[in-house]
Amino acid sequence: MFIGYPFGSIVYHAFTRWDGIAPAQWVGLHNFKILWHDPLFLRSLRNNGIFAISVPIQVVLPLLVAYIIHRRVPGWRFFRSTVFLPAVYATVVIGILAATVLQLDGPLNQTLGSVGLTSLEREWLGSSSTSLPVILLVLVWTNFGYNVLLYLAGMSAIDPSLEEAARIDGAGWLRILFSVITPNLRRVLEIVLVVNTITAFAFMFVYIYTITNGGPGTDTYVSEFYIYQQAFTNQNMGYAAAIGVTLVLIVLAIGVLQIRILTRERD
Amino acid sequence: MSTAVEVATATPPPARRRLRMKHPWPFVGGLALLCASGVLPLLFMAFTAFRTQRDWDNSRIGLPTTFSFGAFQRAWTDANIGVYFRNSAIVTVSTVALTVVCATLAGYGFSKLRWRLRGATYLFVLSWIAIPPLLLMVPIYVEMVQLGLLDTYGAVIFLYTALNLPFNVYLMTAFFRSVPDELIEAARMDGAGIHRIFFRVMVPLARPPLATLVIFNVLWAWNEFLFALLMLQSDSVKTLTVGVLQLQGRFVTDYPALMAGLLITSLPVIGAYLVFQRHLVRGIVAGAVK
Repeated sequence: MFIGYPFGSIVYHAFTRWDGIAPAQWVGLHNFKILWHDPLFLRSLRNNGIFAISVPIQVVLPLLVAYIIHRRVPGWRFFRSTVFLPAVYATVVIGILAATVLQLDGPLNQTLGSVGLTSLEREWLGSSSTSLPVILLVLVWTNFGYNVLLYLAGMSAIDPSLEEAARIDGAGWLRILFSVITPNLRRVLEIVLVVNTITAFAFMFVYIYTITNGGPGTDTYVSEFYIYQQAFTNQNMGYAAAIGVTLVLIVLAIGVLQIRILTRERD
Repeated sequence: MSTAVEVATATPPPARRRLRMKHPWPFVGGLALLCASGVLPLLFMAFTAFRTQRDWDNSRIGLPTTFSFGAFQRAWTDANIGVYFRNSAIVTVSTVALTVVCATLAGYGFSKLRWRLRGATYLFVLSWIAIPPLLLMVPIYVEMVQLGLLDTYGAVIFLYTALNLPFNVYLMTAFFRSVPDELIEAARMDGAGIHRIFFRVMVPLARPPLATLVIFNVLWAWNEFLFALLMLQSDSVKTLTVGVLQLQGRFVTDYPALMAGLLITSLPVIGAYLVFQRHLVRGIVAGAVK
Protein backbone atom coordinates (compact mmCIF):
# COMPACT_ATOMS: atom_id res chain seq x y z
CA MET A 1 0.00 0.00 0.00
CA PHE A 2 2.82 2.40 0.83
CA ILE A 3 4.22 2.08 -2.68
CA GLY A 4 1.18 0.97 -4.65
CA TYR A 5 -0.95 4.00 -3.92
CA PRO A 6 1.74 6.60 -4.69
CA PHE A 7 2.41 4.93 -8.01
CA GLY A 8 -1.20 5.30 -9.09
CA SER A 9 -1.24 8.82 -7.70
CA ILE A 10 1.85 9.95 -9.60
CA VAL A 11 0.45 8.81 -12.93
CA TYR A 12 -2.82 10.66 -12.31
CA HIS A 13 -1.21 13.86 -11.09
CA ALA A 14 1.17 13.98 -14.04
CA PHE A 15 -1.86 15.20 -16.02
CA THR A 16 -2.78 17.94 -13.57
CA ARG A 17 -1.70 21.32 -12.30
CA TRP A 18 -1.34 20.92 -8.57
CA ASP A 19 0.39 22.71 -5.70
CA GLY A 20 -0.01 19.78 -3.30
CA ILE A 21 -2.69 21.50 -1.20
CA ALA A 22 -5.56 22.80 -3.35
CA PRO A 23 -7.50 20.28 -5.47
CA ALA A 24 -5.62 19.28 -8.62
CA GLN A 25 -6.75 20.75 -11.97
CA TRP A 26 -6.84 18.44 -14.98
CA VAL A 27 -4.64 19.85 -17.76
CA GLY A 28 -4.28 16.82 -20.01
CA LEU A 29 -0.96 16.46 -21.79
CA HIS A 30 0.10 20.04 -21.09
CA ASN A 31 2.85 19.05 -18.63
CA PHE A 32 4.38 16.60 -21.06
CA LYS A 33 4.31 19.14 -23.89
CA ILE A 34 6.20 21.87 -22.05
CA LEU A 35 8.59 19.27 -20.66
CA TRP A 36 10.37 18.85 -23.99
CA HIS A 37 10.89 22.59 -24.34
CA ASP A 38 12.05 23.10 -20.78
CA PRO A 39 15.79 23.85 -21.01
CA LEU A 40 16.34 22.90 -17.38
CA PHE A 41 14.79 19.48 -17.82
CA LEU A 42 16.83 18.90 -20.96
CA ARG A 43 20.01 19.95 -19.18
CA SER A 44 19.18 17.64 -16.26
CA LEU A 45 18.63 14.78 -18.65
CA ARG A 46 21.89 15.55 -20.46
CA ASN A 47 23.75 15.45 -17.13
CA ASN A 48 22.15 12.10 -16.34
CA GLY A 49 23.45 10.98 -19.72
CA ILE A 50 26.96 12.17 -18.77
CA PHE A 51 26.78 10.19 -15.54
CA ALA A 52 25.79 7.17 -17.62
CA ILE A 53 29.42 7.17 -18.81
CA SER A 54 29.89 5.32 -15.54
CA VAL A 55 28.03 2.32 -16.99
CA PRO A 56 30.71 1.04 -19.42
CA ILE A 57 33.37 1.77 -16.79
CA GLN A 58 31.46 -0.25 -14.21
CA VAL A 59 30.97 -3.12 -16.64
CA VAL A 60 34.66 -3.47 -17.54
CA LEU A 61 36.90 -2.40 -14.63
CA PRO A 62 35.16 -4.33 -11.80
CA LEU A 63 35.22 -7.39 -14.07
CA LEU A 64 39.02 -7.20 -14.23
CA VAL A 65 39.33 -6.57 -10.50
CA ALA A 66 36.93 -9.40 -9.69
CA TYR A 67 38.89 -11.79 -11.87
CA ILE A 68 42.16 -10.90 -10.16
CA ILE A 69 40.55 -11.63 -6.78
CA HIS A 70 38.96 -14.76 -8.22
CA ARG A 71 42.41 -16.05 -9.18
CA ARG A 72 43.37 -15.98 -5.51
CA VAL A 73 46.22 -13.48 -5.65
CA PRO A 74 47.97 -13.09 -2.29
CA GLY A 75 45.74 -11.18 0.10
CA TRP A 76 42.56 -11.86 -1.88
CA ARG A 77 40.40 -12.25 1.20
CA PHE A 78 41.47 -8.85 2.47
CA PHE A 79 40.88 -7.26 -0.94
CA ARG A 80 37.48 -8.88 -1.23
CA SER A 81 36.31 -7.28 1.99
CA THR A 82 37.91 -3.83 1.60
CA VAL A 83 36.90 -3.32 -2.02
CA PHE A 84 33.30 -2.97 -0.87
CA LEU A 85 34.10 -0.39 1.80
CA PRO A 86 33.20 2.70 -0.29
CA ALA A 87 29.67 1.35 -0.64
CA VAL A 88 29.36 1.06 3.14
CA TYR A 89 29.75 4.77 3.85
CA ALA A 90 26.50 6.72 3.62
CA THR A 91 26.35 8.58 0.30
CA VAL A 92 25.80 11.76 2.30
CA VAL A 93 29.12 11.21 4.06
CA ILE A 94 30.89 10.67 0.74
CA GLY A 95 29.24 13.77 -0.69
CA ILE A 96 30.18 16.03 2.21
CA LEU A 97 33.73 14.68 2.19
CA ALA A 98 34.04 15.34 -1.53
CA ALA A 99 32.71 18.86 -1.12
CA THR A 100 35.14 19.48 1.75
CA VAL A 101 38.21 18.07 0.03
CA LEU A 102 37.52 19.95 -3.20
CA GLN A 103 37.04 23.44 -1.78
CA LEU A 104 39.12 26.24 -3.24
CA ASP A 105 41.29 26.33 -0.09
CA GLY A 106 40.67 22.66 0.66
CA PRO A 107 42.98 19.71 1.21
CA LEU A 108 43.28 18.71 -2.45
CA ASN A 109 44.41 22.09 -3.73
CA GLN A 110 46.74 22.47 -0.77
CA THR A 111 48.30 19.09 -1.47
CA LEU A 112 48.75 19.99 -5.11
CA GLY A 113 50.33 23.27 -4.10
CA SER A 114 52.71 21.71 -1.62
CA VAL A 115 54.07 19.21 -4.14
CA GLY A 116 54.62 21.95 -6.68
CA LEU A 117 51.67 21.28 -8.96
CA THR A 118 50.21 24.72 -8.46
CA SER A 119 49.09 24.80 -12.08
CA LEU A 120 46.63 21.99 -11.34
CA GLU A 121 44.97 23.87 -8.51
CA ARG A 122 41.53 25.08 -9.46
CA GLU A 123 38.05 25.67 -8.14
CA TRP A 124 36.97 22.10 -8.73
CA LEU A 125 33.28 22.65 -8.08
CA GLY A 126 33.24 26.11 -9.63
CA SER A 127 32.48 25.04 -13.17
CA SER A 128 30.68 22.11 -14.70
CA SER A 129 33.71 21.18 -16.80
CA THR A 130 35.42 19.95 -13.65
CA SER A 131 32.52 19.28 -11.30
CA LEU A 132 30.72 16.83 -13.59
CA PRO A 133 33.81 14.61 -14.04
CA VAL A 134 34.48 14.82 -10.30
CA ILE A 135 30.95 13.66 -9.47
CA LEU A 136 31.27 10.92 -12.09
CA LEU A 137 34.46 9.76 -10.41
CA VAL A 138 32.82 9.75 -6.97
CA LEU A 139 29.89 7.78 -8.40
CA VAL A 140 32.15 5.14 -9.94
CA TRP A 141 34.26 4.88 -6.81
CA THR A 142 31.23 4.42 -4.54
CA ASN A 143 29.55 1.63 -6.49
CA PHE A 144 32.69 -0.11 -7.72
CA GLY A 145 32.90 -2.69 -4.93
CA TYR A 146 29.29 -3.70 -5.30
CA ASN A 147 29.91 -4.60 -8.94
CA VAL A 148 33.07 -6.48 -8.03
CA LEU A 149 31.12 -8.61 -5.54
CA LEU A 150 28.42 -9.29 -8.15
CA TYR A 151 31.04 -10.49 -10.64
CA LEU A 152 32.78 -12.57 -7.97
CA ALA A 153 29.48 -14.23 -7.16
CA GLY A 154 28.98 -15.09 -10.81
CA MET A 155 32.54 -16.35 -11.25
CA SER A 156 32.36 -18.65 -8.24
CA ALA A 157 29.45 -20.45 -9.91
CA ILE A 158 31.53 -21.31 -13.01
CA ASP A 159 33.02 -24.78 -13.13
CA PRO A 160 36.79 -24.35 -12.48
CA SER A 161 37.64 -27.21 -14.83
CA LEU A 162 36.69 -24.92 -17.74
CA GLU A 163 39.45 -22.52 -16.74
CA GLU A 164 41.84 -25.38 -16.18
CA ALA A 165 41.13 -26.76 -19.64
CA ALA A 166 41.68 -23.35 -21.23
CA ARG A 167 44.97 -22.96 -19.42
CA ILE A 168 46.19 -26.36 -20.59
CA ASP A 169 45.35 -25.21 -24.11
CA GLY A 170 47.77 -22.35 -23.51
CA ALA A 171 45.39 -19.44 -22.93
CA GLY A 172 46.69 -16.48 -20.90
CA TRP A 173 44.63 -14.93 -18.11
CA LEU A 174 43.09 -12.20 -20.28
CA ARG A 175 42.16 -14.80 -22.86
CA ILE A 176 40.57 -17.01 -20.20
CA LEU A 177 38.71 -14.03 -18.76
CA PHE A 178 37.17 -12.99 -22.05
CA SER A 179 36.69 -16.35 -23.76
CA VAL A 180 35.81 -18.61 -20.85
CA ILE A 181 34.59 -16.52 -17.92
CA THR A 182 32.71 -13.60 -19.49
CA PRO A 183 30.45 -15.71 -21.75
CA ASN A 184 29.28 -17.52 -18.63
CA LEU A 185 28.47 -14.32 -16.79
CA ARG A 186 25.61 -13.18 -18.98
CA ARG A 187 23.14 -12.96 -16.12
CA VAL A 188 25.52 -10.96 -13.92
CA LEU A 189 26.45 -8.68 -16.85
CA GLU A 190 22.76 -7.95 -17.30
CA ILE A 191 22.39 -7.02 -13.64
CA VAL A 192 25.51 -4.82 -13.64
CA LEU A 193 24.41 -3.04 -16.79
CA VAL A 194 20.84 -2.39 -15.69
CA VAL A 195 21.61 -1.52 -12.06
CA ASN A 196 24.30 1.01 -13.02
CA THR A 197 22.13 2.58 -15.70
CA ILE A 198 19.28 3.00 -13.24
CA THR A 199 21.75 4.50 -10.77
CA ALA A 200 22.95 7.09 -13.29
CA PHE A 201 19.39 8.16 -14.05
CA ALA A 202 17.51 7.68 -10.82
CA PHE A 203 19.88 7.56 -7.85
CA MET A 204 21.95 10.71 -8.35
CA PHE A 205 20.09 13.02 -6.00
CA VAL A 206 22.26 12.64 -2.93
CA TYR A 207 25.52 13.19 -4.82
CA ILE A 208 24.24 16.38 -6.41
CA TYR A 209 22.53 17.66 -3.28
CA THR A 210 25.64 17.29 -1.13
CA ILE A 211 28.47 18.02 -3.58
CA THR A 212 27.26 20.93 -5.73
CA ASN A 213 23.60 21.49 -4.81
CA GLY A 214 22.98 21.75 -8.54
CA GLY A 215 25.43 24.58 -9.02
CA PRO A 216 27.19 26.57 -10.19
CA GLY A 217 23.87 28.03 -11.28
CA THR A 218 21.96 25.08 -12.66
CA ASP A 219 24.93 23.43 -14.39
CA THR A 220 24.89 20.16 -12.47
CA TYR A 221 21.14 19.60 -12.21
CA VAL A 222 19.99 16.02 -12.68
CA SER A 223 16.41 14.92 -13.28
CA GLU A 224 15.72 13.84 -9.73
CA PHE A 225 17.14 17.04 -8.35
CA TYR A 226 14.89 18.94 -10.73
CA ILE A 227 11.86 16.94 -9.57
CA TYR A 228 12.77 17.81 -6.00
CA GLN A 229 13.13 21.50 -6.88
CA GLN A 230 9.86 21.65 -8.79
CA ALA A 231 7.93 19.76 -6.14
CA PHE A 232 9.25 21.18 -2.90
CA THR A 233 10.69 24.59 -3.80
CA ASN A 234 8.30 25.70 -6.55
CA GLN A 235 5.26 23.70 -5.36
CA ASN A 236 4.66 22.43 -8.91
CA MET A 237 3.65 18.96 -7.81
CA GLY A 238 1.85 18.15 -11.05
CA TYR A 239 4.80 19.08 -13.22
CA ALA A 240 7.16 17.19 -10.92
CA ALA A 241 4.96 14.12 -11.27
CA ALA A 242 5.10 14.42 -15.05
CA ILE A 243 8.92 14.53 -14.96
CA GLY A 244 8.87 11.47 -12.69
CA VAL A 245 6.67 9.49 -15.07
CA THR A 246 8.81 10.49 -18.06
CA LEU A 247 11.97 9.47 -16.26
CA VAL A 248 10.55 6.07 -15.27
CA LEU A 249 9.61 5.46 -18.90
CA ILE A 250 13.09 6.46 -20.12
CA VAL A 251 14.80 4.21 -17.58
CA LEU A 252 12.51 1.28 -18.39
CA ALA A 253 13.09 1.75 -22.12
CA ILE A 254 16.86 1.77 -21.69
CA GLY A 255 16.68 -1.31 -19.46
CA VAL A 256 14.57 -3.28 -21.90
CA LEU A 257 16.81 -2.22 -24.80
CA GLN A 258 19.95 -3.34 -22.98
CA ILE A 259 18.53 -6.74 -22.12
CA ARG A 260 17.32 -7.16 -25.72
CA ILE A 261 20.76 -6.42 -27.09
CA LEU A 262 22.45 -8.77 -24.66
CA THR A 263 20.01 -11.54 -25.42
CA ARG A 264 20.43 -11.12 -29.15
CA GLU A 265 24.21 -11.17 -28.96
CA ARG A 266 24.05 -14.57 -27.36
CA ASP A 267 22.06 -16.15 -30.18
CA MET B 1 18.35 -32.51 12.68
CA SER B 2 21.83 -31.18 12.03
CA THR B 3 22.13 -33.08 8.76
CA ALA B 4 18.87 -31.57 7.59
CA VAL B 5 20.28 -28.12 8.35
CA GLU B 6 23.27 -28.89 6.20
CA VAL B 7 21.08 -29.95 3.32
CA ALA B 8 18.96 -26.87 3.53
CA THR B 9 21.57 -24.17 3.97
CA ALA B 10 24.59 -25.27 2.03
CA THR B 11 24.81 -26.61 -1.47
CA PRO B 12 28.15 -28.42 -1.47
CA PRO B 13 30.79 -26.33 -3.28
CA PRO B 14 32.19 -28.02 -6.37
CA ALA B 15 35.57 -29.53 -5.71
CA ARG B 16 37.75 -26.70 -6.89
CA ARG B 17 41.39 -26.06 -7.28
CA ARG B 18 41.59 -22.45 -8.31
CA LEU B 19 44.03 -21.34 -10.96
CA ARG B 20 46.61 -18.97 -9.66
CA MET B 21 48.35 -16.10 -11.39
CA LYS B 22 51.93 -16.57 -12.47
CA HIS B 23 53.01 -13.03 -11.72
CA PRO B 24 50.47 -11.72 -9.24
CA TRP B 25 52.43 -8.81 -7.76
CA PRO B 26 51.52 -6.03 -10.22
CA PHE B 27 47.86 -6.95 -9.73
CA VAL B 28 48.26 -7.04 -5.98
CA GLY B 29 49.78 -3.56 -6.13
CA GLY B 30 46.84 -2.25 -8.13
CA LEU B 31 44.31 -3.82 -5.81
CA ALA B 32 46.13 -2.44 -2.78
CA LEU B 33 45.89 1.09 -4.19
CA LEU B 34 42.21 0.64 -4.94
CA CYS B 35 41.49 -0.64 -1.46
CA ALA B 36 43.60 2.10 0.12
CA SER B 37 41.30 4.62 -1.54
CA GLY B 38 38.44 2.98 0.34
CA VAL B 39 40.17 3.43 3.69
CA LEU B 40 41.37 6.96 2.96
CA PRO B 41 38.07 8.75 3.80
CA LEU B 42 38.02 6.99 7.15
CA LEU B 43 41.57 8.14 7.91
CA PHE B 44 40.86 11.68 6.77
CA MET B 45 37.75 11.91 8.96
CA ALA B 46 39.55 10.45 11.97
CA PHE B 47 42.67 12.61 11.70
CA THR B 48 40.71 15.79 11.10
CA ALA B 49 38.22 15.07 13.88
CA PHE B 50 41.02 14.83 16.45
CA ARG B 51 42.59 18.08 15.30
CA THR B 52 41.71 21.45 16.75
CA GLN B 53 40.13 24.27 14.86
CA ARG B 54 43.50 26.05 14.86
CA ASP B 55 45.22 23.01 13.35
CA TRP B 56 42.71 23.07 10.51
CA ASP B 57 43.12 26.80 9.94
CA ASN B 58 46.89 26.40 9.69
CA SER B 59 46.83 23.52 7.29
CA ARG B 60 44.10 21.42 5.70
CA ILE B 61 46.02 18.21 5.94
CA GLY B 62 48.18 16.79 8.66
CA LEU B 63 48.19 14.95 11.92
CA PRO B 64 46.66 16.38 15.08
CA THR B 65 49.19 18.47 17.01
CA THR B 66 47.33 17.89 20.25
CA PHE B 67 44.99 14.96 20.63
CA SER B 68 41.69 16.75 21.12
CA PHE B 69 38.25 15.36 21.76
CA GLY B 70 36.76 18.84 21.54
CA ALA B 71 35.37 18.32 18.06
CA PHE B 72 33.43 15.25 19.17
CA GLN B 73 32.03 17.16 22.10
CA ARG B 74 30.93 20.07 19.92
CA ALA B 75 29.32 17.72 17.43
CA TRP B 76 27.65 15.44 19.97
CA THR B 77 26.06 18.11 22.18
CA ASP B 78 26.11 21.52 20.48
CA ALA B 79 25.13 20.14 17.10
CA ASN B 80 22.64 17.57 18.36
CA ILE B 81 24.48 14.61 16.87
CA GLY B 82 23.67 12.66 20.03
CA VAL B 83 19.94 13.09 19.41
CA TYR B 84 20.30 12.24 15.72
CA PHE B 85 22.26 9.16 16.65
CA ARG B 86 19.44 7.98 18.90
CA ASN B 87 16.90 8.67 16.14
CA SER B 88 18.94 6.75 13.58
CA ALA B 89 19.19 3.84 15.99
CA ILE B 90 15.42 3.81 16.63
CA VAL B 91 14.58 4.03 12.93
CA THR B 92 17.13 1.41 11.89
CA VAL B 93 16.25 -1.12 14.57
CA SER B 94 12.49 -0.77 13.97
CA THR B 95 12.88 -0.97 10.20
CA VAL B 96 15.06 -4.05 10.40
CA ALA B 97 12.74 -5.80 12.85
CA LEU B 98 9.59 -5.02 10.88
CA THR B 99 11.14 -5.93 7.53
CA VAL B 100 12.63 -9.18 8.72
CA VAL B 101 9.39 -10.34 10.37
CA CYS B 102 7.26 -9.47 7.33
CA ALA B 103 9.75 -10.96 4.86
CA THR B 104 10.03 -14.22 6.80
CA LEU B 105 6.27 -14.65 7.06
CA ALA B 106 5.78 -13.74 3.41
CA GLY B 107 8.61 -15.95 2.23
CA TYR B 108 7.11 -18.90 4.06
CA GLY B 109 3.68 -18.15 2.64
CA PHE B 110 5.00 -17.83 -0.90
CA SER B 111 7.00 -21.04 -0.78
CA LYS B 112 5.42 -23.60 1.51
CA LEU B 113 1.74 -22.72 1.80
CA ARG B 114 -0.71 -23.24 -1.04
CA TRP B 115 -3.30 -20.57 -1.69
CA ARG B 116 -5.16 -19.03 -4.58
CA LEU B 117 -3.35 -16.30 -6.56
CA ARG B 118 -0.07 -17.14 -4.86
CA GLY B 119 1.95 -16.90 -8.08
CA ALA B 120 0.29 -13.67 -9.19
CA THR B 121 0.77 -12.02 -5.79
CA TYR B 122 4.42 -13.04 -5.72
CA LEU B 123 5.05 -11.52 -9.15
CA PHE B 124 3.21 -8.37 -8.09
CA VAL B 125 5.44 -7.99 -5.04
CA LEU B 126 8.61 -8.63 -7.05
CA SER B 127 7.69 -6.13 -9.75
CA TRP B 128 8.27 -3.31 -7.26
CA ILE B 129 11.99 -4.07 -7.30
CA ALA B 130 12.08 -2.50 -10.78
CA ILE B 131 10.54 0.88 -9.83
CA PRO B 132 13.09 3.46 -8.69
CA PRO B 133 11.50 4.70 -5.47
CA LEU B 134 13.07 8.15 -5.64
CA LEU B 135 10.82 9.00 -8.55
CA LEU B 136 7.83 8.47 -6.29
CA MET B 137 8.90 11.12 -3.83
CA VAL B 138 6.08 13.53 -4.60
CA PRO B 139 3.12 11.18 -4.08
CA ILE B 140 4.76 9.44 -1.14
CA TYR B 141 5.23 12.81 0.51
CA VAL B 142 1.59 13.72 -0.05
CA GLU B 143 0.48 10.33 1.20
CA MET B 144 2.42 10.79 4.42
CA VAL B 145 0.86 14.21 4.93
CA GLN B 146 -2.59 12.68 4.47
CA LEU B 147 -1.84 9.86 6.88
CA GLY B 148 -0.59 12.36 9.46
CA LEU B 149 2.75 10.56 9.62
CA LEU B 150 4.88 13.46 8.42
CA ASP B 151 7.66 14.31 10.86
CA THR B 152 7.34 11.08 12.83
CA TYR B 153 9.55 8.00 13.03
CA GLY B 154 6.60 6.06 11.63
CA ALA B 155 6.86 7.77 8.24
CA VAL B 156 10.35 6.53 7.49
CA ILE B 157 10.01 3.20 9.28
CA PHE B 158 6.95 2.16 7.26
CA LEU B 159 8.39 3.59 4.08
CA TYR B 160 11.78 1.87 4.41
CA THR B 161 10.03 -1.39 5.20
CA ALA B 162 7.79 -1.06 2.15
CA LEU B 163 10.70 -0.17 -0.13
CA ASN B 164 12.91 -3.01 1.07
CA LEU B 165 10.32 -5.75 1.36
CA PRO B 166 10.27 -6.90 -2.30
CA PHE B 167 13.97 -7.82 -2.32
CA ASN B 168 13.77 -9.30 1.18
CA VAL B 169 10.70 -11.36 0.33
CA TYR B 170 12.48 -12.60 -2.78
CA LEU B 171 15.48 -13.80 -0.75
CA MET B 172 13.37 -15.50 1.92
CA THR B 173 11.11 -17.19 -0.62
CA ALA B 174 14.15 -18.51 -2.48
CA PHE B 175 15.57 -19.82 0.78
CA PHE B 176 12.39 -21.52 2.01
CA ARG B 177 11.97 -23.16 -1.39
CA SER B 178 15.32 -24.85 -0.85
CA VAL B 179 14.11 -26.42 2.40
CA PRO B 180 13.00 -29.98 1.58
CA ASP B 181 9.27 -30.67 1.95
CA GLU B 182 10.06 -33.93 3.77
CA LEU B 183 11.11 -31.90 6.77
CA ILE B 184 7.69 -30.27 7.01
CA GLU B 185 6.03 -33.60 6.35
CA ALA B 186 7.94 -35.15 9.24
CA ALA B 187 6.96 -32.34 11.60
CA ARG B 188 3.35 -32.66 10.53
CA MET B 189 3.48 -36.42 11.29
CA ASP B 190 4.56 -35.45 14.78
CA GLY B 191 1.37 -33.43 15.06
CA ALA B 192 2.68 -29.90 14.48
CA GLY B 193 0.38 -27.30 12.90
CA ILE B 194 1.53 -24.71 10.37
CA HIS B 195 2.34 -22.16 13.05
CA ARG B 196 4.33 -24.62 15.05
CA ILE B 197 6.16 -25.79 11.96
CA PHE B 198 6.95 -22.19 11.11
CA PHE B 199 8.33 -21.21 14.49
CA ARG B 200 9.97 -24.48 15.52
CA VAL B 201 11.33 -25.73 12.21
CA MET B 202 11.54 -22.99 9.62
CA VAL B 203 12.71 -20.00 11.64
CA PRO B 204 15.63 -21.82 13.28
CA LEU B 205 16.70 -23.09 9.85
CA ALA B 206 16.53 -19.61 8.39
CA ARG B 207 19.20 -18.08 10.59
CA PRO B 208 21.80 -17.57 7.83
CA PRO B 209 19.46 -15.80 5.38
CA LEU B 210 18.05 -13.77 8.25
CA ALA B 211 21.56 -12.54 9.00
CA THR B 212 21.80 -11.50 5.34
CA LEU B 213 18.57 -9.54 5.59
CA VAL B 214 19.70 -7.86 8.79
CA ILE B 215 22.98 -6.55 7.34
CA PHE B 216 21.33 -5.38 4.11
CA ASN B 217 18.60 -3.52 5.93
CA VAL B 218 20.93 -2.04 8.54
CA LEU B 219 23.19 -0.54 5.87
CA TRP B 220 20.21 0.68 3.89
CA ALA B 221 18.15 2.19 6.68
CA TRP B 222 21.09 3.80 8.47
CA ASN B 223 22.41 5.40 5.27
CA GLU B 224 19.13 6.45 3.64
CA PHE B 225 18.94 10.16 2.99
CA LEU B 226 16.34 11.47 0.55
CA PHE B 227 13.18 10.28 2.28
CA ALA B 228 14.58 11.17 5.68
CA LEU B 229 15.17 14.67 4.33
CA LEU B 230 11.61 14.93 3.05
CA MET B 231 9.81 13.31 5.97
CA LEU B 232 11.73 14.33 9.08
CA GLN B 233 11.75 18.06 9.66
CA SER B 234 12.12 18.70 13.37
CA ASP B 235 15.37 18.16 15.21
CA SER B 236 13.81 15.69 17.63
CA VAL B 237 13.19 13.08 14.92
CA LYS B 238 15.92 13.75 12.33
CA THR B 239 18.30 10.91 11.55
CA LEU B 240 22.08 11.22 11.29
CA THR B 241 22.30 11.50 7.52
CA VAL B 242 20.06 14.57 7.53
CA GLY B 243 21.45 15.96 10.77
CA VAL B 244 25.05 15.75 9.66
CA LEU B 245 24.28 17.77 6.56
CA GLN B 246 22.93 20.47 8.79
CA LEU B 247 26.24 20.44 10.61
CA GLN B 248 27.82 21.44 7.32
CA GLY B 249 25.59 24.47 7.11
CA ARG B 250 25.62 25.51 10.75
CA PHE B 251 29.32 25.35 11.52
CA VAL B 252 30.59 26.60 8.22
CA THR B 253 34.20 26.68 9.33
CA ASP B 254 34.26 24.07 12.10
CA TYR B 255 35.55 21.23 9.97
CA PRO B 256 36.89 19.13 12.84
CA ALA B 257 33.34 19.01 14.29
CA LEU B 258 31.90 18.20 10.87
CA MET B 259 34.38 15.35 10.44
CA ALA B 260 33.60 14.09 13.94
CA GLY B 261 29.92 14.01 12.93
CA LEU B 262 30.70 12.13 9.72
CA LEU B 263 32.86 9.68 11.64
CA ILE B 264 30.08 9.05 14.17
CA THR B 265 27.73 8.43 11.24
CA SER B 266 30.12 6.01 9.54
CA LEU B 267 31.50 3.89 12.37
CA PRO B 268 28.33 1.90 13.22
CA VAL B 269 27.78 0.76 9.63
CA ILE B 270 31.45 -0.02 9.09
CA GLY B 271 31.37 -2.08 12.28
CA ALA B 272 28.22 -3.86 11.16
CA TYR B 273 29.80 -4.53 7.78
CA LEU B 274 32.97 -6.00 9.28
CA VAL B 275 30.94 -8.31 11.53
CA PHE B 276 28.36 -9.40 8.95
CA GLN B 277 30.28 -9.17 5.66
CA ARG B 278 30.12 -12.91 5.05
CA HIS B 279 26.33 -12.69 5.08
CA LEU B 280 26.28 -9.66 2.84
CA VAL B 281 28.33 -11.48 0.22
CA ARG B 282 25.94 -14.41 0.44
CA GLY B 283 23.00 -12.12 -0.20
CA ILE B 284 24.69 -10.69 -3.28
CA VAL B 285 25.42 -14.23 -4.50
CA ALA B 286 21.78 -15.21 -4.02
CA GLY B 287 20.61 -12.11 -5.87
CA ALA B 288 23.04 -12.51 -8.75
CA VAL B 289 23.23 -16.18 -9.54
CA LYS B 290 19.63 -17.27 -9.18
